[in-house]
Amino acid sequence: MFRRGSYAQVASGSAGSSQSNPVSARSGQFSHLANSGSIPLGTSSFTHSRHARSIDADGHHGSMSNSLSRSGPVPSYSSQMGYMSGYGGLQDAGAPAFFVPSYLRGSRHAEKLEEAHKARIAVYREQRSTHSSNTGSLSTSSSSVNLHKPGHSYRGLAHEIIERTPAFIEEPVAPWPTRWDEKDKFAQMEVEEDGRLARFAGASKSGHDEAAAVRADFPMPRQCGIYYYEVTVVSKGKDGIIGVGFSEAKVPLNRIPGWEPGSFAYHGDDGLFFTSTTSGKPYGPKYGTLDVIGCGINFRTNTAFFTKNGQYLGPAFKDLKTNVQYYPSIGMKKPNEAIRANFGQEPFAFDIDSIVQQEKATIQQDIALSKGQPREHGSTDETQFIQSLIGQYLAHDGYVETARAFAGEVIGEAQALAADGRANVPYLQTEEDIDAINRQRIRAAILDGDIDKALKHTNAYYPSVLRDNENIYFKLRCRKFIEMIRLCSELNAQVHPHIIPTPPSKRSTASTLNNRNSTATDEYDFEMELDEQLGVHNGAPWGDEEDDDEDDLEAKQKKLQDSTQAMIEYGMELKQEFVNDPRREVKRALEDTFALIAYENVRESSLAPLLDTSGRIPVAEELNSAILVSLGKSSSAALERLVQQTEALVSELADDGGPGAFINVRKDFLQ
Amino acid sequence: MSSSTVSVSAPTPTQQHPFQRKIDEIKPSKPDIDFLVMDYLISHGYPRTAAKFAKEAGVPTHLLEEESIEARVEIRHAIHKGDIDTAINKINDLDPQILDKDPALHFALLRLQLIELIRNCTSAPNSDITPAINFASSQLAPRAATNENFLKDLELTMTLIIFLPSNDLQPQLAELLKPELRQQVAAKVNEAILTSMGARGEARIYGLYRARQWSETRAREAGKDLPPSLPLGLEPSPVHANGHGDAADVMVQ
Repeated sequence: MFRRGSYAQVASGSAGSSQSNPVSARSGQFSHLANSGSIPLGTSSFTHSRHARSIDADGHHGSMSNSLSRSGPVPSYSSQMGYMSGYGGLQDAGAPAFFVPSYLRGSRHAEKLEEAHKARIAVYREQRSTHSSNTGSLSTSSSSVNLHKPGHSYRGLAHEIIERTPAFIEEPVAPWPTRWDEKDKFAQMEVEEDGRLARFAGASKSGHDEAAAVRADFPMPRQCGIYYYEVTVVSKGKDGIIGVGFSEAKVPLNRIPGWEPGSFAYHGDDGLFFTSTTSGKPYGPKYGTLDVIGCGINFRTNTAFFTKNGQYLGPAFKDLKTNVQYYPSIGMKKPNEAIRANFGQEPFAFDIDSIVQQEKATIQQDIALSKGQPREHGSTDETQFIQSLIGQYLAHDGYVETARAFAGEVIGEAQALAADGRANVPYLQTEEDIDAINRQRIRAAILDGDIDKALKHTNAYYPSVLRDNENIYFKLRCRKFIEMIRLCSELNAQVHPHIIPTPPSKRSTASTLNNRNSTATDEYDFEMELDEQLGVHNGAPWGDEEDDDEDDLEAKQKKLQDSTQAMIEYGMELKQEFVNDPRREVKRALEDTFALIAYENVRESSLAPLLDTSGRIPVAEELNSAILVSLGKSSSAALERLVQQTEALVSELADDGGPGAFINVRKDFLQ
Repeated sequence: MSSSTVSVSAPTPTQQHPFQRKIDEIKPSKPDIDFLVMDYLISHGYPRTAAKFAKEAGVPTHLLEEESIEARVEIRHAIHKGDIDTAINKINDLDPQILDKDPALHFALLRLQLIELIRNCTSAPNSDITPAINFASSQLAPRAATNENFLKDLELTMTLIIFLPSNDLQPQLAELLKPELRQQVAAKVNEAILTSMGARGEARIYGLYRARQWSETRAREAGKDLPPSLPLGLEPSPVHANGHGDAADVMVQ
């Protein structure tokens, strides 16, 4: 059962078992709504919040007992709870935070794990802000909130998050080993120092084969491509009978790894490598006290290798099974023997980073060579094909002017090239496309925050789209609400500049203001809109604020009052319209949006990202796609599909530790 | 972050391949794709398009500041037109080191110039082929002496003099007269200039496309469960136009 513990454990460094409890995670997010009392949407309880808070106070490994007791009676764990609580003080100080082994930095798998970790931190912060509103300390000073960085401030508290699996993590991401597992060791083995140190604690006169082994908390993930860890022999005792290697989950722990079927290890007393049998083969030098032994698997080649004190010892075994999971494992036999593991928390003695870099380079070369393969899609060569991809993207996404300029330049190029002056430009959509202009208008309106205008245009040109795509309609309505909150928050910042250190751009305020009276300002010049849109994106300098007179203040206060009033009215209207909608995502979006007004200072809250202008992009894209589909066109451009397919294919090649594990599509090809 | 989407696509085909679902679940980031496009426009040398794109898509304009772009456009244009002399001069104006450091590229340009000379010399019957021969012996022969590949290329090129004008050249020779050769050399020159300026020689999108080709090949070799074909839906192909005309859906069938 402990093997199935939430993956969150890795991030927080706890080896504890836990029950995931997504329901409580959700309700926690709304509880401040209930606290605010202004909009009675949330149904969540104070009890939950208070409960969570008590965990904070208790500290760290207390969380384990908490999560267990919360999820119902699990009597079999009582002994461990006792053990843990007796231990808590010591572990507390060095409770490990999330770490990425050096050779995996920048890899797709590390990114995924980090995202999962951050999501949990976010949920945790959510909880935290709930607590603070409970105690009435809502006016958190603006700067201090920003200073909180996951990793140190939350270190000790991170365990609290463990039980909450964030709702938006679709697939569990296989974590890497972080420590020796307290629950996966032989009785005569002691695990200390946050699971890093393993010490033989048996009697010296034990049976001939009697030994003690321990496995790490998680298997070596194949998705890493190469997995590597090191141990330092703290003391080799009298005979140095120590084995370092890996084993399957079910291998008995009363013998040194390497001797039992399904286990593989390099032994210190004789330098032999043992492969599931008691007779080893010569492999490397003997090792003893203070030697650093590294153990790695290349999952692409299914080869195991070892290092000693930073020296590569060559491949030890070449035909590892591809369908089983291997856990880092060590075994010892004599008193005073002890080793300390480094699962990547610290720099390695061996330069494993270079090995991974070489592997990446090999694969990049392999990819570059696929240049010579025959093209499909009917294009004669790569250059022309890429040209068509770009041209189609520009037309598809409604970049009218750009598409026109591109067609012009491409034709010019082709004409120069063609011996007879006749250009042959395939697949280039050069014809004027009225739809593209309309779509561009609608997109520009959304990106500008002018949702009313976008709704109006969409209804005028594509009346069926919003009817047929109710969820897009809903998102647009929500977005409008968010834009109104944005406006209020900006005005608020201007009226009370001391609250918010970063006044938003005046320009965007102006445009948003205009947008609110959209019927009046609807007809202004298209180019102007574009300029304004760019202005919003680039952000006007703060200096603008200084132009304002004192007289403005009163006008602004009035404006703020009016805007707030309008915002609340619109909010009630929105709620009326959708409150009975049974769809879960609608409910959730509604709740998230309404949560915004619960904050006095939204920009400093954990919900600030909702307010960001970048939130306009997905809405604009979704509407654009829906319009295209209504016109009988493909909903995504070929270039987007190229990215999607590449990502999907590469991750297919990465899941089993194949060559895809060494590729990060975004880092390697999109940046 | 957009939560689950109510299906906006045309009626789902009866059987959707599981891999298609994996593809659909990936939501490429719009800024990433815009970057890819901008990067292509700059490195390929489409300055007017790039400027429009920066404006329309709201892409950061710092990429537009790439200083060699106008010169690169002119050089490409010259090579495409067959005006190699101008191209070489402009390259040397930019940075004489570019051709000095890359003898193969320099040779390729000179050979292109020789081909144009031969083309001109042989365009009329009984015209003088001396300029072509002089150019070959003064410019190309000394370089070819040091490199076997150069020599082969030079010899092949010179045989054009014998066969031109002709409508029935052997393929090896016909290749030399195709515009693709100029295009290839122009692309190499463009890369060399970008590299000399410390930029990436080739637009990112080429690598992405190759990665796509490579990963499909590898995944099929590894026996992964993939649909028989994975089209990008680029062609507006009437063949695939079912009632809904959605190429994205057609391709999963």
